[in-house]
Amino acid sequence: MHKYIIVTSLLLISFLNIKAQSNVNPDISLIGTFNSTMDFTKGSPEKGKLNFEMPEMELFVDGYLNPYARATGNIAYENGEFSVEELYANIVRGLPLDAQIKAGKYLVGFGQLNIVHPHAWAFIGRPLFHQIYFGPEGFNDIGFNFSFIVPTETFYTNLDLGIFKGDAIGNSELEEPTQEEIANHRGRSPIFVGRLGTFFSLSDYSNLGVGLDGSYGVHAKVDINTSGDTTAALVNKSLNYAYVGLDFKYKYRPDDYTALTIQGEGIFNHRDVMRADNFGINSPVQEIKTINTYGVFISIDYLFEKMYDFGLKYDYTNGIVGDEPGYNTLSNDDQNSTQGLTAWFGYYPIEHTLAFRLNVGNLFYHYADGTSRDNSTLVTLQMIFSLGPHKAHPF
Amino acid sequence: MKKLLISILIITSSISFANVKAVATLTIIYDLVKNIGKDKVEVNYLCRGNQDPHFLEVMPSYMLKLRNADLVFEIGLDLEKWLPQLIDGSRNNNIQIVDLSQDIEKKEVPTTKMDARYGDVHPYGNPHYYLDPLDVKIMAKEVLDALSTQDPGNAIYYEKNYNDYMKLFDAKITEWGKKMAKAKGTPIVFFHSSWVYFAEQYGIKIAGYVEPKPGIPPTPSHNAEVINLIKKGGIKLIVMENYYSDAAPNQIAQITGVKVLKVPVGLYGTEGIDSYFKMMDYIVDQIVSNS
Repeated sequence: MHKYIIVTSLLLISFLNIKAQSNVNPDISLIGTFNSTMDFTKGSPEKGKLNFEMPEMELFVDGYLNPYARATGNIAYENGEFSVEELYANIVRGLPLDAQIKAGKYLVGFGQLNIVHPHAWAFIGRPLFHQIYFGPEGFNDIGFNFSFIVPTETFYTNLDLGIFKGDAIGNSELEEPTQEEIANHRGRSPIFVGRLGTFFSLSDYSNLGVGLDGSYGVHAKVDINTSGDTTAALVNKSLNYAYVGLDFKYKYRPDDYTALTIQGEGIFNHRDVMRADNFGINSPVQEIKTINTYGVFISIDYLFEKMYDFGLKYDYTNGIVGDEPGYNTLSNDDQNSTQGLTAWFGYYPIEHTLAFRLNVGNLFYHYADGTSRDNSTLVTLQMIFSLGPHKAHPF
Repeated sequence: MKKLLISILIITSSISFANVKAVATLTIIYDLVKNIGKDKVEVNYLCRGNQDPHFLEVMPSYMLKLRNADLVFEIGLDLEKWLPQLIDGSRNNNIQIVDLSQDIEKKEVPTTKMDARYGDVHPYGNPHYYLDPLDVKIMAKEVLDALSTQDPGNAIYYEKNYNDYMKLFDAKITEWGKKMAKAKGTPIVFFHSSWVYFAEQYGIKIAGYVEPKPGIPPTPSHNAEVINLIKKGGIKLIVMENYYSDAAPNQIAQITGVKVLKVPVGLYGTEGIDSYFKMMDYIVDQIVSNS
């Protein structure tokens, strides 16, 4: 049913596009992504097999609602399913204190990379700590964001404060946090996100953006057995978390054909987790512990002749990327870690419209208990096309 | 005490006494606003003279320039597609957008449905009218009107500046016209389709373009066509903006012996080019001496 509604919406958009005056139409653009991968992981059943993945699509509809507000919709088709990736309105002017309000479902401004759609990244694959702490789709959540400009006259500083449902944070516990019982507390225990971002023009050709990010809230509510006795009443506990992030992006662009971009982000995770360390009368004793973990990535990308780029990215994160969600895994895991090393080469024959990228990603796993696991290597050849109007590139 | 005085000096030096705060998207507009507004207008620009105005990265530093502006002057005709994002980011509720193309006689306005197969075609007409000095006079009048409306108390002041500047402008137009008469009818290959207004004004024949379609990078097959064109037509010049790569024109030049002229089409991107007069002097002198 859900699928039919989305398909009908797509047809309606196309119909309106033909019928309506072009100058009152929203911008409609379609991004298509085709990935072909080859797994070189030792012992993998997929090793050496060329895998043609199902194409992915993003349909963006974007425009001004009125002189004060814009609205954006992004319908995605991934893994054979349609989903609403983003749907939000943004009041961009007319509010007291020159504030802006964004409401709906969208990519949350935690760090500089998360708000950029993956097709616009230089590399393929979400940074490892994003996967661990925000989930496979990044920090995409439902809520309100209030944005203010800090009155620093000579450089641009903005302060963002948001309140969100918290589904992205729940990804660590459950694959589909929106559909599970544990998600019932969402709304009663919203999460909070803040960001202070500053931008410096270092010269005519080089710029630096830095940011400090924070997020706080309840990531899960659990009923735990604190006595180790199955006949005893369970105790309801809230599991809190606090993320602190730092990010920077430096770009040196001496001309329109060349750019050197160095970008890095880090996160510190202070979190309550549920552990069952001792055995009680007839069952494990469950207790709440606090863990501190972290993740970082740093990337360097060099664009030359306007149509070629190459680069490297290094990732480190606590937790094992690809683990099933659970109370001991992903962002709840303070024992194990994953490192990543990614290299890429991109070819952009005609700006904005076509991109071909070759990406080699390596993952290195470290288990505290000495478990041995082969490193994984995935080679991806990607083609992206962009049909329709596209916004100017952000810094 | 000394520290207090220094602090007061710093604070007072940062306070602007200008009646109008303006931002120009391009440096050519900046030059006009500066000459007409003089000390009553504080003006900034966004796109440097050696940057491609079609593609400007959306940077917060530009939003900061727009934040307290009363007016933003644009070329229009969809050249500055990046401007709405910058204005939204500036949170400036009171900024007035002045489209300088309003009274320009537009060229190359598509008469049929255009799409990406024709390249990066501007749907409302070619926006590079600022390379025709007579069109720049029309732009100057728009600037005068906007400043006078914004700051009516100084309308007479702006009009005097405008008239003084237009006298100089008319003298330069005559000078450029006389010089360019020597190049009249000269066939030139241009890099991008931004010279149609200039060419028509001075009777230059546009023989072709290095770009196969507007905004589409040169290709080997198209380069071969351009080489044939140059050889057959006895063309001596390729003229290009200084923000484009000269790799393809230089390859063509190596084979054909054609001269490649890389010229500024904006200010503050080339040493010594800090006014529209100097920019046009440079372009005119280079074309005339190499024709």
